[in-house]
Amino acid sequence: MPSWQDFQPFIVSGLALGGVYALSGVGTVVLYQATGVLYLAFGAVGAMGALIAWSLIHAGTPEWVAWLVCVAFGGAVTLAYGMVFGPPLARRGPLVKAVATLGLTLVLFGAMDLLWTANGGESRAITLPTDNGGFMVGQVQVNWTQVIALCAGIALVVVTGVFLRYTKLGTAMRAMANDREITATLGVPVRRVEAAAWLGCGLIAGLAGLLLADLVALDATTLTFLVISSLAAALIARLRSIALTFVAAIAVGLIHDLLTPIQSLSNYRDMTPFVLAAAALLVLSRHRVISLSREDA
Amino acid sequence: MLDTASSTAAARQHSPLHRPGTRTLVRTGVIALLLLFALLALPQLLSLYYIDTMTQVAVYCVVALGLGVLVGRVGLVSLGQAAVLAIGAWVAARLLFATTQPYPLVLLEAGVITMAAGTLIGLPALRLRGLYLALITLMLAGAITVVLATTNFPNGGHGFLGYNGSSVHIPAIRRPGIAASDPAYFRYSVVVAALMFLLVFAHIRTRPGRAWAAIRQSEPAALAAGINTTLYKLWAFALASFVTGVAGGVLAGAVHYLYSIDFPTQDSITLLAVVLMGGAYSLWGAIVAALLLQLLPALLNNWGVSADWLTILFGLGVLQVLTTAPAGLADQVPRDLARLGRLLRRRVRRGRPRRPARSGGGTG
Repeated sequence: MPSWQDFQPFIVSGLALGGVYALSGVGTVVLYQATGVLYLAFGAVGAMGALIAWSLIHAGTPEWVAWLVCVAFGGAVTLAYGMVFGPPLARRGPLVKAVATLGLTLVLFGAMDLLWTANGGESRAITLPTDNGGFMVGQVQVNWTQVIALCAGIALVVVTGVFLRYTKLGTAMRAMANDREITATLGVPVRRVEAAAWLGCGLIAGLAGLLLADLVALDATTLTFLVISSLAAALIARLRSIALTFVAAIAVGLIHDLLTPIQSLSNYRDMTPFVLAAAALLVLSRHRVISLSREDA
Repeated sequence: MLDTASSTAAARQHSPLHRPGTRTLVRTGVIALLLLFALLALPQLLSLYYIDTMTQVAVYCVVALGLGVLVGRVGLVSLGQAAVLAIGAWVAARLLFATTQPYPLVLLEAGVITMAAGTLIGLPALRLRGLYLALITLMLAGAITVVLATTNFPNGGHGFLGYNGSSVHIPAIRRPGIAASDPAYFRYSVVVAALMFLLVFAHIRTRPGRAWAAIRQSEPAALAAGINTTLYKLWAFALASFVTGVAGGVLAGAVHYLYSIDFPTQDSITLLAVVLMGGAYSLWGAIVAALLLQLLPALLNNWGVSADWLTILFGLGVLQVLTTAPAGLADQVPRDLARLGRLLRRRVRRGRPRRPARSGGGTG
């Protein structure tokens, strides 16, 4: 068993990873609540945004422009998808909507493999200037990107919570989460609210992609399917509570990284999100409910 | 359930009250001819490259068949079938290295052990439905991928895992004595696939098939009608896992060497995509799906086109299928062809001035 000293650096990296998971998780939950779509292309959109940013930086564009393009790309693609495929699928079940976003995932994934070929193992990386600076907590080096990741997660949870609670648009989104039809009858511009949710989720996807490209790796496959891991947090919260998603995300990130120094479990640490999510789903659904409503399906 | 809107298309193809008449005879004849063609003519016509590809097609049409049973018949969407295939391949490879049992016996054992594992994965299905079921299977598939990456596939080593990391000479996974060459192994895999199709067909045409159809339409109604939904859902998972496990066994012999990087989690997603594109409601859809998944990449590779275009195509295909053609290619193409035929016939008729054009009547 490793000593406490060995665990310390992994607490820091675990919190940072948890923060990014929270970023993805909260974006997913908000979009799911507002539109009923589980956005499985979250990772692919972020990955492509990050790759575009990398290309721009490589071509000599100022870095901050590239980062903005990355975030904007996420927003644009997500909004476009929502506008094109939202309406025809609006009346279908949540599962069909989710599988359709897998279609978008495959399109983006294929495009990424095509445009950014991994020729001869050339590795790409995005390094944010915040990687270099940092401070010490005890004996552990903390860099600013890690701080930003955790803070972005916390900030997003707080901002989204306040937004949903106190603004008109947020109230409309919560109403739509309850019942789309009744909300429409009350005169809420349903399509416009949905568009706002799509755009917001897309911007978050772009931001998460940028941070993950720095914290994890700038690789299409890794980033695209990292969404499966970050989905775990949202699933533990049953795609409902934002606060719970955040807590679960931090827990997943922490446990994942804390397993690293334990030799017997180190190889299996990538299972953490899957095992936690599967266990949570099983526990949460231990009461059998039979429902005629299609929303539950 | 995947979707109620598409159930009518499935119900049309899946009527237990079919009349055994000329239609059935013709259909059986066509299937027999196709099978004979695949067994006798194809190995003569194709190069070794395409024979290998067609062996993969035979393997993957069984995998697609298993997923088709879950998605199309019972309405349970699983995003973990590629992981189940990996389990089947692992078990078969382990047994083939450890014992000298005849190959069919190993296939059977691989099927049964995978069935046990797959039923375990299916257990949450008793509580979860729809989206949550799809996601938990995706999570479990992810977990299995991680475990496989650590344990690796057996390569003739000792111990339970049978993996020998430092081995210089890695023995190939053996094939059955009667099917050592590639063409012979292709025939072997076609026969196995045909048997699996027969097994599934027998299920669909009898009591389980009717119970599944009822569950797909409405679970509460099926429950009210006295159907043991728990039993039949588990049964579906068991059947799908069994055929997938057998397919894994065939795959082990086909490729000779198995590596865990060949079974990434995203394969499960692609698999669901092609099954939906091929058509989950018809047995032909499984064959179409396997051709899409294995033959198309081989063709593109031969023509020097990047396989990434295919991923894009699959993605667009999923979106197209979900928005406009819920029953998939196996249903849509014949219907579109019939429509085209009607359109052409009308054109021809309109071309002759004497005969009055048929009035009214949409093309449907």
